[in-house]
Amino acid sequence: MKFKKLTSLMLVTAVTASMLAGCGGGSNEVSSTNSTGDNSSASAGGGKTDAVESSGNENQEITEFSYFITMPGKEINDDNEIAQIIAEKTGVKVKETWLTGQTAAEATGTLVAGGEYPDFIDSDDMSVLVDAGALLPLDEYIDQYPEFKETWFTEAEWDKFRQPDGHIYWINPFGNTYGESKATTHNDEAFWIQVKVLEWAGYPDIQTLDEYFDLLESYIEANPTMEDGTENIAYTILCEDWRYFCLENAGQFLAGYPNDGSVIVNKETMTIEDYNTSEDTIKYLRKLNEEYHKGYVDPESFTQTYDEYIAKLSTGRVLGMVDQWWNFAYTVNDVFKQQGLDLKGCNYVPLGLTTERGMENRWHTYDDTVNQASGIAISVDCKDPDKAFKFLVDICMDQELHDLRFWGIEGVDYLVDDEGLFYRTDEMRKNWADTAYQAAHRCQYSYFPQWGGTHTDGKNAMKPEEQPSEFMSDMAEPLVKCFEAYGVTTYPGMIDSVVETNAEWFPMYSFSNNFTTETPGGTAWALMGECKHEWLPKVVMADDFDKGWQDYMTAYSACKPEDFLSEMQAILDTFK
Amino acid sequence: MARTNALKKDRKITWKEIKRQKTLLIISFFVVIYGVIFYYWPLTGWLMAFQNYKPKDGLLHSKFVGLEKFQFLFSDATFLKVIRNTFCMGALNLLTTTVMAILFAILLNEIRHTLLKKTIQTVSYLPHFLSWIIVTGILHDALSSTGIINDLLLKAGIIDQAINFFAYPKYFWPIVAFANCWKETGWNAIIYLAAITSIDPCLYEAASIDGAGRLARIRYITLPGIKPTVMILLLMNVGNVLNAGFEVQYLLGNGLVQSVSQTIDIYVLKWGISQNDFSLGTAAGIFKSVVSIALIVVCNAWAKRAGEERLF
Repeated sequence: MKFKKLTSLMLVTAVTASMLAGCGGGSNEVSSTNSTGDNSSASAGGGKTDAVESSGNENQEITEFSYFITMPGKEINDDNEIAQIIAEKTGVKVKETWLTGQTAAEATGTLVAGGEYPDFIDSDDMSVLVDAGALLPLDEYIDQYPEFKETWFTEAEWDKFRQPDGHIYWINPFGNTYGESKATTHNDEAFWIQVKVLEWAGYPDIQTLDEYFDLLESYIEANPTMEDGTENIAYTILCEDWRYFCLENAGQFLAGYPNDGSVIVNKETMTIEDYNTSEDTIKYLRKLNEEYHKGYVDPESFTQTYDEYIAKLSTGRVLGMVDQWWNFAYTVNDVFKQQGLDLKGCNYVPLGLTTERGMENRWHTYDDTVNQASGIAISVDCKDPDKAFKFLVDICMDQELHDLRFWGIEGVDYLVDDEGLFYRTDEMRKNWADTAYQAAHRCQYSYFPQWGGTHTDGKNAMKPEEQPSEFMSDMAEPLVKCFEAYGVTTYPGMIDSVVETNAEWFPMYSFSNNFTTETPGGTAWALMGECKHEWLPKVVMADDFDKGWQDYMTAYSACKPEDFLSEMQAILDTFK
Repeated sequence: MARTNALKKDRKITWKEIKRQKTLLIISFFVVIYGVIFYYWPLTGWLMAFQNYKPKDGLLHSKFVGLEKFQFLFSDATFLKVIRNTFCMGALNLLTTTVMAILFAILLNEIRHTLLKKTIQTVSYLPHFLSWIIVTGILHDALSSTGIINDLLLKAGIIDQAINFFAYPKYFWPIVAFANCWKETGWNAIIYLAAITSIDPCLYEAASIDGAGRLARIRYITLPGIKPTVMILLLMNVGNVLNAGFEVQYLLGNGLVQSVSQTIDIYVLKWGISQNDFSLGTAAGIFKSVVSIALIVVCNAWAKRAGEERLF
């Protein structure tokens, strides 16, 4: 016993000593491994195994990094299988922690107030962290990985991330397409509707808000409850915290504009317009008000929390809502699959609604959206920034690691056919959607850089949901029938947005998200948000819509939106 | 206090005296150090309220801006609403919990069956040990449109459509007061029960011989008997009125009721932490502390004048 204790004590001392050594003279060592890492990732496929082997031979210690993400998410088990494999290959394990209970801004503020940071941070309030001197400039590190630098963003895109002091502090991990785009989902906002409603009505052509609600109304008259007797809800709205976009910004889309988020950009005159006060928004809210009083809008809409909302959707009783795909689909679709609700037509499809029939719509963004307001950053407290950054690059540039994250383990989670195409069996798909299996086996490191689009082998997709064959066989019968009826093969086909490239300033929300209360515009932006949070629900619930709207406008103009709009205009002017 | 001062004047502090009280002095020395470190030292942070504080520059290098933050505070219509909310909810909570606790203690005291009495008492203070997140969860469920309250009201025919209680500002304060009552009544009643037990039983006997009924005994013996306790507790709690709560309002609030749900604590969190304006948050916090101190002093003075029990 004593001997055991002694050995463990010595071990601890040794580990501590080696860690200390790592702090001091580690940079040389790590940069040498960097170069090998680079070489291997330069040659796709073959070179990868070398890198993996060499790192295996070194028998390197596994460094555990912490990563805090200001989004709610599911923690994976500490002994997660794929995380373990990735750790053996890279020498890095990441402990992700997610937002619980607080808002994103509070969580970030708490970090700053405490002055101690996790190794990696992803926050919605990056500027706050930069202000507090919490983040490490990444420029040097990025330069060390030329391949990553070139493929991940263009020079112009990198420049968007430069802060006033000229440094890059964070990298947006999302929305990057490798090779040809294979987008099959509509990873954007839309009016969603359950397939069973469309099927019931004989797949009508729905283009306007009025038609949408007419359909929901007539469906619910005919089918007030689900098969098991649960009451159907025609339409619900999520309003919690920042997620109130589900109520707030449909006006811009109905008018045919893309998701600039905080304002509308009139391309012809190059002016900023406010969708909060636009005719389309008034019409939209008037419709919601009407439906609310008819009893078709879920009365709990404005008081439900995100968890309650997801739980509600997961029962399959909600027929329609406005939302972003990523905000509900991953959780809800998995539940549908497990409960067999997908076979009953509970899956949601997007509709590209506009105010009038025949208008162009821009609900779907075809290009990659670079949101320079947030991303993954390395903090000043990071144990080993070199290793951390190398990991950040490897995890997306090394195809083998990328496959582990999104496809899983070959032979266990997917199979490869004679032509080299990846496919899964029904059981594998079911496992993949199972929450317990996800915690024990799956490790996506979902807030680390990742690719969409085509696999480096040129045949497969980076992610299973984008693999055409996988996508089709993963779909339940009713969904397939719906797609066939409308003659489309993907979700974006359902919404049929105008195909165009993003404007240089798109999305404008990535600028306004970085506003702080230092400037009048930023203060106005904060006050407007608060005002809209309170008044939009009030307007929808108002007994007299016009009076409600007037009161709202009085409160709204008191926030001085013009200060905000003029600062946004100034930003837009730099693109003239 | 006054008496000890008078004593000190008579006696000079000598070395002998100090030596004699060595142990006491050492003990109190640690307490003083503790107080300085944990109560007074943090107050240097109040400097932030007069600066444009930046975490990067720290307390020493941030720019002083005088009373600018306070000016912003009092020109912000939301803050004035927040003060109103805090004060009203605090007062409402204080009033309801005190009245309910006294009432409950008296009723409980009238129960003659010991086992029953003990059981009720134990059960009644269990909610005190639940955290607010659980209590608000229960409330959220109970008051939702398919919750038990709406079910009962619907079945009883009092309403013909479920009420979404959290969507209307008028229900918010009562809900908070109710939540506080539900959680704290049993716990607060303990001290009143203790006070009641210390009343001389002879008084009750004498009163009943004189023909006083139960109600009369409560009115003329129990209530006057616990009056000093009530006064002291009230005084102590007045200082807490502005601590009207944070968790309840934070967890139960939503966009629709934010104009009545935000308290000073939430405001401090919103500006200090979320908007990262530590200075403004501190200013709001200072305001709260100053008002609380003022409230205690005023009430104490009033109690003194009215010849009641007082704190200092």
